[in-house]
Amino acid sequence: MDAGAVPAWLDEHDVRWVRTESVSLDGFLIGKHLSPNKFAKGLPLGNAITELVLGYDIGGTPYLAWWDDWRRDALGDFHQRPDLSTLVMVPDRPHTAAVLCDLVGVDGEELPVCPRSLLRRVVGRLGDQGFTAQAAFEIEGMIFAESVIDARRKHFKGLTPLSLPTGLGYLHQNSREQLAFLDEALARCEALGIFVEGWHDEAAPGQFEINLDPTDPITACDHVVRTKQVLREVAAEQGHIVTFAAKPTDAYGNGLHVHHSLRQDGEPVFYAPDGTMSQTTRHWIGGLMATMPGATSLLCPTINSYRRMIGWAAAPTVASWAEDNKSTALRVLSRSPGAARIEDRVAAADANPYLVLAAVLGGGLAGLEKAIDPPPPLAVAGWGLPAGWPHLPNTITRAADALANDALLHAQLGDAFCDYWVNTRRWEWLMYHTTGGEPVATGVTQWELDRYFEVV
Amino acid sequence: MSDVAVVTIEADPSPMALILAATLRRAARTPKLAASLTSAKGSVALKSTVDPQAATMRFGDGRAHVTSGVAADADVVIEVDVNRMSDPDAPKPKVSGAARHPKLALAVAKLLEPPHGSWQEEAREFWVFASSHPGCPLGLRVVSIDTGSEATFGEAPPDYELHGTDHALVTLFTGGSVLGQELLDGKLCAVGSLRHTAELTGRSLAWMLGGQ
Repeated sequence: MDAGAVPAWLDEHDVRWVRTESVSLDGFLIGKHLSPNKFAKGLPLGNAITELVLGYDIGGTPYLAWWDDWRRDALGDFHQRPDLSTLVMVPDRPHTAAVLCDLVGVDGEELPVCPRSLLRRVVGRLGDQGFTAQAAFEIEGMIFAESVIDARRKHFKGLTPLSLPTGLGYLHQNSREQLAFLDEALARCEALGIFVEGWHDEAAPGQFEINLDPTDPITACDHVVRTKQVLREVAAEQGHIVTFAAKPTDAYGNGLHVHHSLRQDGEPVFYAPDGTMSQTTRHWIGGLMATMPGATSLLCPTINSYRRMIGWAAAPTVASWAEDNKSTALRVLSRSPGAARIEDRVAAADANPYLVLAAVLGGGLAGLEKAIDPPPPLAVAGWGLPAGWPHLPNTITRAADALANDALLHAQLGDAFCDYWVNTRRWEWLMYHTTGGEPVATGVTQWELDRYFEVV
Repeated sequence: MSDVAVVTIEADPSPMALILAATLRRAARTPKLAASLTSAKGSVALKSTVDPQAATMRFGDGRAHVTSGVAADADVVIEVDVNRMSDPDAPKPKVSGAARHPKLALAVAKLLEPPHGSWQEEAREFWVFASSHPGCPLGLRVVSIDTGSEATFGEAPPDYELHGTDHALVTLFTGGSVLGQELLDGKLCAVGSLRHTAELTGRSLAWMLGGQ
């Protein structure tokens, strides 16, 4: 749809409000409700919104301990430039439309730290090299019987999972308890054009996993943020609370595994029927491996993300790859032409999907550009390995340091973005320690529950 | 031996561990305190009374090593309001274990309050640290509202000004406070851009954490 066709579309659908949806660094949907007239008049640049939407932390404290050239000296505005291909009616609100937007400068210039724009730049470079990518995310979350208000009263502890209290996984008895929630949520997703391959009960109490259909990278991420919004709304309407915190309880954590595939001249790049990988695949994996420690900062963005990354708890703990091995960070599936892909299992559910995919595709691109050979595939179980193995960073600061020193990711994602992100992660570490986090903690702290449970 | 070598710190430290290490290193620049540091034996924990922050200093073999948390075998534990440590009317710390380890407790009390120069001298040292950072102002004017005395650093005319009491200024320039917080609390006033305020806030924070 072009901008000229928008007024008629809004009329035709009897729209009273347009919900503008941009994505913050933390992966939150942010924006405004605009009248149809205001929305249409603002095209193509979009409405103004304070630049603070990219300038405050999860707790709402502005980042005012450094500055960046893309910020305006007097705290000005950005614009939400609508991607009109994403304009849809919101299924449960008859007179409301929604549209995803990039955050741009006052003259429409791209911002180095807009997550959606960042991923688009990476995908563009992939296209320049003759590749197209597809991606599909697995969304894990946990649903609890309590309402949002009751969960807050309980400080997000001791909640009642909508499942057996013991973790089993794939149990239809548990799924039954979640049916009313997921049936409604996935029906709304379908009305938004978001389709899923399937869903199932997962291993932690109250945990479910939704497998989204593969699609192009930007759309795949759009579907994640919109699906999470729908899941939150339906849970709240049904008197429950859902969380995508990486480790909200002592049980298994929530991941955001992402599968990706490449095609070149219409052929699946990762397809290796006889087990012999192409040089392109080898270099792609080599790039993913070389950038994995730095990418961990983006894939595991919070203090809580690292509670999930412990041995024998399903999340990877070493930089590793192998063919169809779920204990490795990269699970390569190369034997089927229609499904040849790589699953990156590092990301936590609290990660921003656009940043996850930008880091993953950027890492692969770096491997192609620098002809990086991968280490040998992991031939043992990837959990519980002793010192001397390539362990992934296990704290927010170690991961930030790894990204700060990763020249390959800096080249792919840009210095401005990487520097800003690293500063925000060090800020998060500072907030943890100076606003109530336990200095020496091995488990989930109250600070993490208060800060992340509802919002990530 | 340099002050950096005398004081070591755990890998991936907490802010309080960094701050304590920075304070001990500052103390070690004074010969008398350096001798006190290298001769001390035992462990002393500093514990916040207002939040869970805590760190332990372990002295021995002529060195100090700082880790996060309160060590179970700490000889002396000092409990203090970390938000008000630099205030002139700060509440008195609660110290346990001092009766059994009076020499250690006394030595550490002195190490944690190293002597400082005038605010002008401390400002000069801070400026050397901060001004090389990209984005910082090119010139800084500092004014004492106690005496009206002032000092200017860097290029003239300075593009940033700080005004405050002698105490607030010396606290900032010795790493005892963070600029942004001091501005929010009204202890300092500034004339300059938000960009410069943010960059100088970051530099003052880095100064507090040991100059990283």
